[in-house]
Amino acid sequence: MAQVTAVAQARPSSHRFRRAANRVPVWHVIWLVIAALVFLVPIYSVVQFSLVGIGPGQSPFHWYLTVFDDPMFRSSFWLSIQISLETVAVSLVLMVPTVFWVHLRLPWLRPVMDLISILPFVVPPIVLVVGLLPFLKNITWLFVRPEVLSLIYVVFALPFLYRALDAGLRAIDLRTLVEAAESLGAKMPRTLLQVILPNLRAAIIGGSLLTVAIAMGEYTVASLLEFSTFPVYTYTIGTTTAYEGVALSFISFIFVWGAMLALYLLGRGGRGAAAVAITDYN
Amino acid sequence: MALAESGMQPVGLAGRAPRKRSLSRRWALLGVFPFFAYISIFLLIPTGELIVGAFRTANGAFTLSNISDVFHAPYPQAFEFSLELSALSALMGGVLGFLVANAVLHHGVPRFIRPAFVSFSGMAANFAGVPLGFAYIATLGTLGVVTTLLQHLGLDIYPSFSLQGLFGCALVYMYFQLPLMILLMIPVIEGLRKEWRESASNLGASSFEFWRYIGLPVVTPSLLGLMVLLFGNAFSAYATAETLGVSNLVTIDIANLINGDITLDPQDAYALALAMIVIIVITIVVYALLQRRASRWLR
Amino acid sequence: MATVELRGLCRTFGSVVALDHLDLKVHSGEFVSLLGPSGCGKTTALRIIAGFEWPDSGEVLVEGQDVLGQAANKRNMGMVFQAYSLFPNMTAQQNVEFGLRVRKESHEKRARRARELLELVGLASAMDRYPRQLSGGQQQRVALARSLAIEPRVLLLDEPLSALDAKVRVQLRAEVRRIQLELGITTLYVTHDQEEALSISDRVAVMSEGRIEQLGTPAQIYSGPRTAFVANFVGTMNKLEGTVVSLEDRIVRCGPLLLQVPDPTFNHPAGEKVELFLRPEDISIGLLSNGDKPAPGLFEGRVTSLTFLGPVTRVGLETDIGPLMADVSSAVALGLAADTVVAVKLDSTSLRSIAR
Repeated sequence: MAQVTAVAQARPSSHRFRRAANRVPVWHVIWLVIAALVFLVPIYSVVQFSLVGIGPGQSPFHWYLTVFDDPMFRSSFWLSIQISLETVAVSLVLMVPTVFWVHLRLPWLRPVMDLISILPFVVPPIVLVVGLLPFLKNITWLFVRPEVLSLIYVVFALPFLYRALDAGLRAIDLRTLVEAAESLGAKMPRTLLQVILPNLRAAIIGGSLLTVAIAMGEYTVASLLEFSTFPVYTYTIGTTTAYEGVALSFISFIFVWGAMLALYLLGRGGRGAAAVAITDYN
Repeated sequence: MALAESGMQPVGLAGRAPRKRSLSRRWALLGVFPFFAYISIFLLIPTGELIVGAFRTANGAFTLSNISDVFHAPYPQAFEFSLELSALSALMGGVLGFLVANAVLHHGVPRFIRPAFVSFSGMAANFAGVPLGFAYIATLGTLGVVTTLLQHLGLDIYPSFSLQGLFGCALVYMYFQLPLMILLMIPVIEGLRKEWRESASNLGASSFEFWRYIGLPVVTPSLLGLMVLLFGNAFSAYATAETLGVSNLVTIDIANLINGDITLDPQDAYALALAMIVIIVITIVVYALLQRRASRWLR
Repeated sequence: MATVELRGLCRTFGSVVALDHLDLKVHSGEFVSLLGPSGCGKTTALRIIAGFEWPDSGEVLVEGQDVLGQAANKRNMGMVFQAYSLFPNMTAQQNVEFGLRVRKESHEKRARRARELLELVGLASAMDRYPRQLSGGQQQRVALARSLAIEPRVLLLDEPLSALDAKVRVQLRAEVRRIQLELGITTLYVTHDQEEALSISDRVAVMSEGRIEQLGTPAQIYSGPRTAFVANFVGTMNKLEGTVVSLEDRIVRCGPLLLQVPDPTFNHPAGEKVELFLRPEDISIGLLSNGDKPAPGLFEGRVTSLTFLGPVTRVGLETDIGPLMADVSSAVALGLAADTVVAVKLDSTSLRSIAR
């Protein structure tokens, strides 16, 4: 039988060394602080810079009020929202059935799809616009409608949406679900809609949020095609009046923060197939 | 990038004659036709057009003059600046990102640090473009908050510092390069098994020796690969630099050539765009090779 | 050669008590296994000795010196982990040499020692292979060689064979023991596999919930379990419930049977309910011709199950003293079927009881 001896006194040395082992080396703290500064100082500066009253008796929110009063603010923001939603709609209608179909019937196409999903990175927005412009100029009816931006943004969002959907489909046992539905008499469209889509909800929402973030923030194509989306508006206003530009930046920041927060909360509840937007698409 | 699975036969047709199988395969391909058509129209054809257009004059005749224009002022300087900027921001973001990822994962660090940094990184990586440009104008511009603060402390960073200069612009790029690196580096460092560290320690190695003999050798291919990715990322950027007022960047030069602000010369724009594509393809190939090397050990 | 002593080790993780005043003395050159189910604290104890964890209180003495004040990389102990511990960017040889490289030994000395040790574990031919080119068993051999290269004073093994195939496990555990005996190195071995522990250890410490239930030689643990936990954990035990009839004569009534407990230290008073333990191999079975009654001293039993285990067959029996398991040679078991009535004999000299 084991000998049970009296409880030993808590030894200072073991405590000391456990604390020592868990002590974070100075260097790590320094890097974390530097990174925190890199992230937070610009935001602080934006807030500070934009809350400057330019004269006695002027509210510190002067620039925000000016901006909100501007009808162009509302119309450009609204335009961007519309374009984003259109982009999401077209992307989903295009991508969801396609990725579903590839996973189900054409698994040998997966490598091709993976390759295509990388292509938009090889062709940055500025390059794509150069290639599209002459072609689009000839289709005047489309060229002047903002919908053309949505169609282009679908390409930019492609890698992220594909990744999200691909991951989401890999996480569910697609074949079994489809065969089960078929054996119960469901045809393909119904199967897709009622069986698969609910299971892909997280991936779809995550991918859509990223698409919205990309579309709301895209500047390059919008400016070169001369549409007054929100980023273009911000640029125009900001290069004239820096204070307003900075105020608009803060509004953008809040918006992006909100979208990412939604994404994060989504990712917490269930299979977060959310990818991270990784490229400066502006 | 997802690795391909070995090709599998389409389901539901086992046992039928091979001829029927390939026929059905062709019908199945119909299902992805819309997608491929879309990609062709909005991505492949425009790309092809510009590649071809790089070798044509305004009238459609074959020429190499556009390509040779690329090698004449001011474009080589623009390329030089773009490449330097991309390299510098990739280096800065890469190194700091690695150090921060490592710090975030340290076992003694408070629990909230990791989710805080991961979520903020996700957000910061998306903040790029026009708003980022103005944010830094508000920070380090001539009337910026930090500039003014430093002036009060007796340090005047102007005129030697400039947001349109190499270092200034790289600093701005850090805002999206750093979080990207952090997010991508965390899984790589987590791939360093606890057992390796403990074995090394057990055999007498210090933390430094662990990194020197095991940690860094294993992580370096990934580290380099990600820095190459950051390089490509920075090279493609446009809006941020445009907002800051940078003038000699390849992407900005291309934009100026097509919007006619300075000169309207779509042919040269094609050639420059082609050059950009070539450079990016090279970076992607290098990235892929480094990733293959990395996966050998971090399985 | 080193002695290892644990005194009063306590460690709590949140609300879970991992170690509860653990005491253990390991003699120089001894092979001691820490045996127990998951969560019993055996791995925690080992990691505390190695220096990857620290106790809330208690001491760890190696050769009489407290090592808790030393960092893990200064304790000069060899440790073999369950898996994945070989450095992936180094060959087997380089892995084995690593400890010596850190100690700044010369190139020749390192190479010589690496060769020596890889030969010892039978892998001299694999010197230039990378871990991903080695099987699980081979990797663990290299890990063992690597830990021995630095001539540690203590060898610690944390379930080194658990991730391997059964056959490889049996082979490798014998080799570990052989090497340990050859080098005479003090060894602590953590495992949940009682067969493993019993077959290769000098002593076994059976652990549960942070404390040592029993410490003894394999034979002592197997034949003389001192607590119900040890009896149930180590090997299979039949449990007989009965009431004490006479303390002086150590008689216990189990159902209709009167059994005498052989242990002279039996100390349960008359009238008390006790549990008696008996191993399946201490029960024998005889076939009964139809209608015969068992001879005196034997009793009747009905076969309820037959489990073929190779050399023996485990026979489940329903009897007047409760359900029993008997291990019978498979040849004999061929004559049995469900519901067969048999004569059952207990080897009462093997009856064990748990002291009060």
